[in-house]
Amino acid sequence: MTNAEVHEKLTGVFRSVFDDPELTIGETTTAKDVRGWDSIAHVSLIVAVEKAFRVRFTTKEVQALANVGDFIRLIERRLK
Amino acid sequence: MLKPDRSELDYLELLRKAKRLPPPTGQRLKLALLGDVSTQHLVPLLRALFASNGVEAEVYEAGFDTVELEALDPASGLYAFGADVVAILQSSVKLKSIYFASQGDRSGFAHERATRVEEVWKAIRARSGAHIVQSTFVLPYERPFGNYGAEVPDTVVGMVSEVNREICLRARENPGVLINDLDYLAAWVGRRHFIDEKLWTLSKSLCALELLPDVAQNIVDIALAARGRVAKCVILDLDNTLWGGVVGDDGLEGIELGENDESGAFRSFQLFLRELSRRGIILAVCSKNEDAVARRVFREHPGMVLREEDIAVFVANWEDKATNIRRIRDKLNIGLDSMVFLDDNPFERNLVRQMVPEVIVPELPEDPGLFVRAISELNLFEAASRSALDAQRGALYRDQEKREAERSRFENLDEYLKSLETMARVARFEQPDLPRISQLLQRSNQFNLTTRRYSEAECAGMMRDLENCFPFSITVRDRFGDFGLINVVILRRAGSALEVDTFLMSCRVLQRGVEQLAMNKVFELARRSGCEAVLGRYIPSAKNAMVKDFYQRFGFHQVATTPGAEGTAWRLDVDEYVPREVHIGEVAAFDRGGP
Repeated sequence: MTNAEVHEKLTGVFRSVFDDPELTIGETTTAKDVRGWDSIAHVSLIVAVEKAFRVRFTTKEVQALANVGDFIRLIERRLK
Repeated sequence: MLKPDRSELDYLELLRKAKRLPPPTGQRLKLALLGDVSTQHLVPLLRALFASNGVEAEVYEAGFDTVELEALDPASGLYAFGADVVAILQSSVKLKSIYFASQGDRSGFAHERATRVEEVWKAIRARSGAHIVQSTFVLPYERPFGNYGAEVPDTVVGMVSEVNREICLRARENPGVLINDLDYLAAWVGRRHFIDEKLWTLSKSLCALELLPDVAQNIVDIALAARGRVAKCVILDLDNTLWGGVVGDDGLEGIELGENDESGAFRSFQLFLRELSRRGIILAVCSKNEDAVARRVFREHPGMVLREEDIAVFVANWEDKATNIRRIRDKLNIGLDSMVFLDDNPFERNLVRQMVPEVIVPELPEDPGLFVRAISELNLFEAASRSALDAQRGALYRDQEKREAERSRFENLDEYLKSLETMARVARFEQPDLPRISQLLQRSNQFNLTTRRYSEAECAGMMRDLENCFPFSITVRDRFGDFGLINVVILRRAGSALEVDTFLMSCRVLQRGVEQLAMNKVFELARRSGCEAVLGRYIPSAKNAMVKDFYQRFGFHQVATTPGAEGTAWRLDVDEYVPREVHIGEVAAFDRGGP
């Protein structure tokens, strides 16, 4: 899966979790840029990403996420 | 109640639904969540699931891990909120850490933990009439002794299951406490899927996110049952549902049942249905068959578990099932939304869903060996109380059939009523009657003037208030059988008048003169306690239109309502009341032992 494909699929997950079909995300997008991305939604997001990409993250990896770029790199590392 | 399957229980889908709740229907429920787990994720799920049952839920979340604080502090947010239902959710994580920290003799550990849980219930029940929905603890997976641990007295799994057992035993003794059996749920889906260590670390989540909807559904089921929204009747198809094959074509010997039922599927299903019947679910038959052919299977087939006398209403004809279901409803006098229709045939299921959408019509799998599993998965038969009368309910309806047969022999109603030799016991609320009284208060919808849902604890309070409260019940039987306790009236002193706070009756005993007897009692009490008048109130609900003219029929005059009060208000001077003639004898006491 290319970086663009991961980005596209991740966008789909974000849109579904935040219930916003127009939502766009970039490398530097953080929680404060997305309406509704609080600690509760964060947990939903992680579970949804794990399910969509069929990967599992460790607790530590999840806690270290700072922005969407981190998320994409983490997914790519797991997909390898 | 609408539960065709569990596909609704998708986490993200429910979150979306929670953002677009349907307009309120007027039914509201205040739910408080207490726990040593985070409850934020549950709130939108609960709101969405209550909404799909037509209930607008207002949810109060106590702070994380403040169960005891909230319960024991009379000034806590919990009491200010005024909950109808308090759900207590506890994780095994905390329980385990206390256990691991305890040194020395741990033999009293489970007892001590259960006592703490019980103290929380008692504190809440002392300050509020709310139902308490207490979770069980999910059994941990670690086994320091492996399988041998089952033989070792002091293991963490053994301790948790002992705590669960103690909690359940104590729930029996504490009115208003209902068990939310999370360990059953976890075992059903598999504990390895239910327990989610990562989510616990990240957000103190009770379980995996995708299973939170199941937890929420469990709470909704219990809360609705506490409100009286329970299944009361199962309507059964016969061919290919109770037995394999078509009796009309295959004949009595040809159907798959008993020795011809190699897998034993139909027998298992019938055994399950008989258990439902024993716990008070009414069984009815609705089948496209010749009546005599269908009944012959019940009478003569050696493989039948269910007998004719287990079936309260037996309808076998060639009319459409929707019409027949309405007919069964009319006989039983219960709401369509308390009826479950079980039929192997998808055509019939869809027809009933279309024509009588209130009826609960679960999908049944093709394999009859999976019927019990499919029905169990939906948890259709939640209950919030159990009384001796429940088990007799089927018999009550069968007695009714006999009465109706008798009725056709009489020309006038009075003659008929006299022939029934009805006896009644009128009694102020008494401790042994309280479970049944509060059950009626929770359940009765149609013949219910104010639909006030008092809890057992509140009833006990009224019972003790000798000065201002006159709560009584009426228990009835006739020569065909027992009706049990079927009428509840609560009167309160209101200045120089006596106010009818609650007047309700089970619909089984309509047109028997019981309400007239009760009204005679009301005025007798008013006179004896020196009151000038009796005040009545009718608060309309979705289901009680049948009593909208109740007070008028007794000669009450409508009076202006005070601003903010609900419904219509009525008044009748004691001197103006003409006692009604009733054909009911009165007895001081019935033997409580029998039905």
